[in-house]
Amino acid sequence: MTIQRLTGTSVQRVEDPRLLTGRGRYVDDVVLPGMLHAAFARSPHPHARIVAIDATAAAALPGVRLVLTDADLRGEIGDMTANGSAGLFVPTYSALARDVVRLVGEPIAIVVAESRHLAEDAVALLRIEFELLDPVADMDTAMSEHAAVLFPEHGSNVIYRTEHRYGDTESAFAAATHIVRERFVQHRQANVPMECRGGVADYSPATGMLEYHTSHQAPHAMRFTLSMTLRQPTHLLRVRCGDIGGSFGQKGGIGREDIALCAAARRLGRPVKWIEDRRENLTVAGQAREERLDVQAAIDADGAILGLRVQMVMDTGAYPQLGFPASGYTNVVRSLLPGAYRLEHYDFDALAVTTNKATYVPYRGPWEVETWVRERLLDVIARTAGRDPVDVRLRNLWTDDELPRASVTGVELIRFSQRESLVQARDHIGYAAFRTEQATARAEGRFLGIGFANFIEPAPFMPSLIKAIGFMAAPRTPQEAHIRVEPDGTLTLFTSQQPHGQGHETTLAQLVADEVGVPMAKVRVVHGDTQVTPFNFVGTGGSRAATLASGAVMGAARQVRERILRLAADLWEIDVADLDIVDGHVVANGVPSRRLPMAMVGVMAYTRPGLANADGSLGIDERHAYISGEGTWSQSTHCCIVEVDTDTGLVRIARYVVVEDCGRMINPAIVDGQVRGGVVQGIGAVLFERAAYAPDGRFLADTLSTYLVPTANDVPHIEVVHRHSDPDDPVPFRGVGEGGAIGAPAALTNAIEDALAPFGAKIREQYLPPDRILELAGLL
Amino acid sequence: MTPASTRVSVRTNVNGRDHEIVVDARRTLAEVVREELALTGTHLGCEQGACGACTVLLDGVSARACLTLAARADGRRVVTIEGLGDGPLAASLRQACLDHFAFQCGFCTPGMLIAATELLTENADPSVAEVREALSGNLCRCTGYDSIVAAVMAAAEALRS
Repeated sequence: MTIQRLTGTSVQRVEDPRLLTGRGRYVDDVVLPGMLHAAFARSPHPHARIVAIDATAAAALPGVRLVLTDADLRGEIGDMTANGSAGLFVPTYSALARDVVRLVGEPIAIVVAESRHLAEDAVALLRIEFELLDPVADMDTAMSEHAAVLFPEHGSNVIYRTEHRYGDTESAFAAATHIVRERFVQHRQANVPMECRGGVADYSPATGMLEYHTSHQAPHAMRFTLSMTLRQPTHLLRVRCGDIGGSFGQKGGIGREDIALCAAARRLGRPVKWIEDRRENLTVAGQAREERLDVQAAIDADGAILGLRVQMVMDTGAYPQLGFPASGYTNVVRSLLPGAYRLEHYDFDALAVTTNKATYVPYRGPWEVETWVRERLLDVIARTAGRDPVDVRLRNLWTDDELPRASVTGVELIRFSQRESLVQARDHIGYAAFRTEQATARAEGRFLGIGFANFIEPAPFMPSLIKAIGFMAAPRTPQEAHIRVEPDGTLTLFTSQQPHGQGHETTLAQLVADEVGVPMAKVRVVHGDTQVTPFNFVGTGGSRAATLASGAVMGAARQVRERILRLAADLWEIDVADLDIVDGHVVANGVPSRRLPMAMVGVMAYTRPGLANADGSLGIDERHAYISGEGTWSQSTHCCIVEVDTDTGLVRIARYVVVEDCGRMINPAIVDGQVRGGVVQGIGAVLFERAAYAPDGRFLADTLSTYLVPTANDVPHIEVVHRHSDPDDPVPFRGVGEGGAIGAPAALTNAIEDALAPFGAKIREQYLPPDRILELAGLL
Repeated sequence: MTPASTRVSVRTNVNGRDHEIVVDARRTLAEVVREELALTGTHLGCEQGACGACTVLLDGVSARACLTLAARADGRRVVTIEGLGDGPLAASLRQACLDHFAFQCGFCTPGMLIAATELLTENADPSVAEVREALSGNLCRCTGYDSIVAAVMAAAEALRS
């Protein structure tokens, strides 16, 4: 018989019935008996010395239970130290500010009261005296000799410096027909999950157990760091997550607020809730992307790139996130910037600086600047050489004959064809016809443009990329899955993934159902509880689930299947090879009377020692760890058509096409949702979003009226076309979480420059609000 | 600075049930439905009136529950996501959301469903542009909106047939 497989079909999401009826359980929905509420007193200044804190009035307010500053916590909890790497300065810092504040919004005191309103009232009563220090609000100031130094123990605001040389750029530049020199500026952005951060810390004086309910991508990392910092033994610490209202990288680190909140709850012996408000979220929850790349490209007369020199500066903000180190970002950008293009002579220098701004955090496709700069540069090269931008890409992409191979940075390029995705995108959007339409429109005073962007996405990171980056093992840690057959034959899957919109309760259940041979409704996916889920430092992030979590789940499910078949084989004295599991029943081929429902399998596994396990142990309970081999790339070509209104500077996106190759899809509708959501974040980056600071370090975008997120009215329908270039992987699914956000800024800025070509506009910055577009076109 | 804890009595009908609640005058409708009535489906995404996650119907008209003082609900009918019921409109909308994978993380969902309910109550045959306009006061960071727009269009079609 043919068995309908769930994998590869758009099975409806298991999560949706509860979310569509208001029955999700987000962290703010956690209510515990005797729960108190916290608020933070924060610095209004970007850089200042704390002279004195007077909490008398705040502590005396009726209903206030506790006010803590760093002085109260010293000795009770440890300091925070981010991950380091060779040559990277990593400051140690305290949960609540010690002596100096280094950004607007830095937490100085935590106030706990009977209600959130009272806690906020008390915050307003805190008297904090500051001595102002010079702010360092941008990367050029940070690098200047006269600037204030954020961390005097380091002596400089430059916290990381690296140089890499590949091949012989000197000869390449000597042989060049043209040399293109450009500075590309990517602005500061924010992740803006719709649910802000938050937590409920619940300490039991009776047991010494601390339970922390929170909204986070990586509960095990949270538990590990809380344990170390709070000096709370790990076996007395449990982190739990329910539904999570988005993250996009922001909820992967450990916040200073998490630590202060848990410390306060431990002092009080009562549950304490803190829910971040939007102003706090935009100001201090983390910001991303602020990078500047100076690029020189040596090209020949046809626009072929002979050599490339890149100098990158990254603005990391004031304190390093506990998670991915600054050096990680610059080295991933270096390793991936050549993409799938032929490049053999390449210099890459990078600096990371610290400034009085919010902590740099990963944001969906954290290395996206490599694609933006490369794909912008290719359009500049095309214009310089007088060639077509698609032709210049085809000229520079490795040919299928040249692949597989290692890139100039040593990254193994296998199992994709970027040329084919580019050609497919070009043909799908109707490139030739568009050029005719564009010419006609220009004659009518309408300015249309088209932009392309190619990229390959490590999904997840492969060993050769880890080697090229030079350190950092965490993204390669294996994923583990654990499946238990319950006494009634239903299945419980424990995953170390921590979904926050990705639909893993659905996709992982699809895989289990197919591999074991049971209906999907008989599988429950458990996540978000460090007491029962397998350990993993990363949780959900880095486009790792599709390959790594799937591999673990499929492995554990196959082991469960083997156990079930072995049980039936022993029971019936039939060879395992003659048995199958179909729709929740073990069946014997050719013997229709032999039919054992999973409910009986469950009962027997638990009640008949020796049947399920030769050693006499009870139950069926299997674990599998998976780490992928080489070749886990996703690839995409993005292409969009825009019309720029030269009166208003507004950009209308007429079409947006993504040709996507993420291998086989577990659930195509979920994949499309990932792609489209990422694209719209990339569109937002270009047209709307900027985490802006004034030159004096004040933060200017602390509301959703000043930090603009795209609305349904601002963005087009996004066409997604799928390819599948390698059907033969043992785990044929590749990650797709980051890609949309990686390709969109490049495709969109290329299209805008193309539209404005008659005005000679040069676009070397990523943030293009209407007034800036008019300026660049010389119309304002 | 210290608040005078002025208490107000609010008689309101929430999701078809009458309530008489005595609350601090400064408390918002969102706080009261979440904390006093345990209707946690109404989400607070910004408390600035910008994101739309907390949108409820107040006498049939959409309102930001984060900017609406609870006292303003006195004598009025409030509908939250939990109160959309199982009538044809709500059922069609939920089914279309399931079919079109409308949402991902689910945080914006309550406000989106309220906004869509208001639209479809007023306009049985909206265009895509009208749907996008009607939802433009509700931010979603996950989906890029395509799936939500498709779901609302599909729900409208199902209701017409």
